[in-house]
Amino acid sequence: MIKVQDITKVYNIGPIEIRAVNGLDVAIDAGEFLSIVGPSGSGKTTLLHLIGLLDAPTSGSISIDDMETGALSAKELTRLRREKIGFVFQEFNLLPVLNARENVELPLRYLKVSGEERHRRAMQALDMVGLTDRANNRPSQLSGGEQQRVAIARALVTNPVLVLADEPTGELDTYNTCKVIELMRDLNRETGQTFAIVTHDPMVADYTRRIITLRDGKVASDTAGPEAELACEDGNDDAR
Amino acid sequence: MFKYVLRNMWRRKARTFLTVFGIVVGIFALTVLGALSARLNQQVKGAETWFTSKISVVPGGGSLFGGSDAYLELSKVDEIEAVPGVKSAVAGFGLLLTGESTGFGAPELIVGADLAKAEDLLNLLEIDKGRILQEGDQGKVVLGSTLADKFEVGVGDTVELRGKDFEVVGIYGPTLSAPDSFAFVSYDDALDLFRAVNPYFKVDNIAATIDVIPQPGVNMEELATRIQDTVPGIKVISPAEAKKQISQFSLIFNAILLGIGFIALIVGGLSIINTMIMSVSERTQEIGLKKAIGAETGSVLSEYLLESALIGFFGGLIGMLLGVLAVYLLNNATASSQVAVFTITTTVVVGPVVFATVLGTAAGLFPALRAARLKPIDALKED
Repeated sequence: MIKVQDITKVYNIGPIEIRAVNGLDVAIDAGEFLSIVGPSGSGKTTLLHLIGLLDAPTSGSISIDDMETGALSAKELTRLRREKIGFVFQEFNLLPVLNARENVELPLRYLKVSGEERHRRAMQALDMVGLTDRANNRPSQLSGGEQQRVAIARALVTNPVLVLADEPTGELDTYNTCKVIELMRDLNRETGQTFAIVTHDPMVADYTRRIITLRDGKVASDTAGPEAELACEDGNDDAR
Repeated sequence: MFKYVLRNMWRRKARTFLTVFGIVVGIFALTVLGALSARLNQQVKGAETWFTSKISVVPGGGSLFGGSDAYLELSKVDEIEAVPGVKSAVAGFGLLLTGESTGFGAPELIVGADLAKAEDLLNLLEIDKGRILQEGDQGKVVLGSTLADKFEVGVGDTVELRGKDFEVVGIYGPTLSAPDSFAFVSYDDALDLFRAVNPYFKVDNIAATIDVIPQPGVNMEELATRIQDTVPGIKVISPAEAKKQISQFSLIFNAILLGIGFIALIVGGLSIINTMIMSVSERTQEIGLKKAIGAETGSVLSEYLLESALIGFFGGLIGMLLGVLAVYLLNNATASSQVAVFTITTTVVVGPVVFATVLGTAAGLFPALRAARLKPIDALKED
C-alpha cells in the first residue's frame, strides 16, 4: 500500500546540515499493525511525517496506493491526507474550545459532510473508543487517556486506510497506555485499517505485529513483533 | 464555525474585551461627532435652499452672515429692480429676537420684509398652518416651526416679540435649518422694533438686506454679476457664492470628523492586528493540527478573518449604541431650549458599524494570511 524508496530528508539549521532520514526504504501493506522504534534523533517522527504527507522528502519517492506523491500540489496533498490518513499525536491533539464530539467531527467538516451525518458518525466513532458518555465534555474535563481515545476516534471517523500515531502513549501511565494500544489493536483486527505507531516504549512495540527499528535515519532492523497479549491491569481511568 | 470562533475569542476574555473596548472608544467618538455633523449638514442643506433660491444683496464689504455695520439705502431697491431679469427686489430688515445669540445653531431672528413685494420670497418656504404675510399686515407674524414650538403658540394666538404683541397668522413647516427660528414680520414692524431698542439710532429708508427674486428662466449667476456691475455700493451674493460660504462651515467640521475616523482607524486597526497576531501564534499548533487533518488554507484564513471581523463588529456595534445613547441624552438635556445639537441618521447608525467591521477584517488580513500559510509540519513542531 505504501512504498517508500530511498528517501532522504535534510534540514538546514544555520550552517549545520542534519540528515534526519538518510536513504531509507520501507514498504507497508494494508492491514498491518506495526511500530517504528529507535533512539531519539533516529528519524522516527520525520519518517511518520513524510509518510503522512505532512512533509516532503528531500529526495526519493513515496507512493500511496500506487500513486506517486512527489508531483502532487499542496492542495492535492491536503485532500489525500483528509481522505486516506488519520493522525494521532502525542500532545496538542484536541482543540480545547471544542467538546469531544465536536473534535471528532472536525475532519468530517473538512470533508464537507452534512451536520446530521457528522453527528451520527462522530458518535459512532466515540462508541468505538467507549466514550459516548463523555461526548459533551471539553478536553480539559477529560483524563489524558480519554483525550487520547478521543483523538483516536477523530483519526478513525473518516475511515482512513492508514492511521499514523506519533507517541500516542507518551504522556500516559501504564494502565492507560495498555488501554489505548488495546483499542488500536482491536480496531485493526475489526476494520483492517493499517496502523503505524511511533514509540519509545518497548512495551508498546511488543504488542505490535512488526517492529521497524531506525538508527541514523536508516532502517536498522525490520522484524516480526511478538504481538504480546494485552492484559491491562486494573487502574485508574482518570489518571493523567 | 461561527460558534467556534466565538469560543476562541472567549478564551482570552480580558484581551478580547480590551481590544473590543479600544474599538468602542473610537467608534463612540465617531458616532457622536457623526451625529453632530449630520445635524450641521442638515442645517446647511436647509439653509442652502433658503439662501440659494434667491440672490442676496448686502452692503458693500458684508457677507451672508453680516460682518458690516452699514445699511443699504432703500433707493437701491429701485436700482436693482431696474436691472433686466429681476422680477422683484424685497427690502429686508433683521434683528435678533432676544438681546443675545442662542449659542449653537442658527440665531433666532426677527426678519422684516417689504410685504408689498415679498410674496415670492415668503413662498420659498412651505407654510404649514395659516397663511403667509400679505401686503398691509401690521402687528402680524409668521413663525418658523422651532419658534412656534418654543412659544407654544398656534395660529390666532398672540406672541410677544421684543416687548410688542404680535398676532400669529401662520406657521412654516420645519426646514431643519435657519428659517425655522425666524419670525417674519413686515418691514415697518421690524424697523419699529429696531428703533425701540436703539432710541438714539435714527434710521429711516434703510435695509439690511435686499432679496432679489429673478424672473423665471433667468440664469441666477449671470443676473448676480449683472446687478453687481450695474448698481454701485453693494455686494451681491449669488447662489453659488452663498453655497460656498455655507459649505465652509461644514467643511471644517467634516475634516475634524475625518481626522477622528483616521485616528480610530490607526489605533483600532493596530490593536486588532496585535491581538490577532498573538492569537495566531498562541494557536500555531492547533492550526498545524487542523491542516494535518485536512483543513484547507481558505478554511483557516476565513476562520481568523471572521474572528477579527467580529472584534471590529462588536466594537463598532457597542461604540455606536453608546454613542447614540449619549446623543439621545444630550439632545434631551438641551430639549428645553429648542436647540437640537445632534441628528441620528441611517448613516450615523450604520456607518460606524460597517466601518469598524471592515476595519477589523482588513486588520485581520495579515495575521490570518500568516496563519493560513503555515505549513502543517512547521506548525506542529512549534513549541
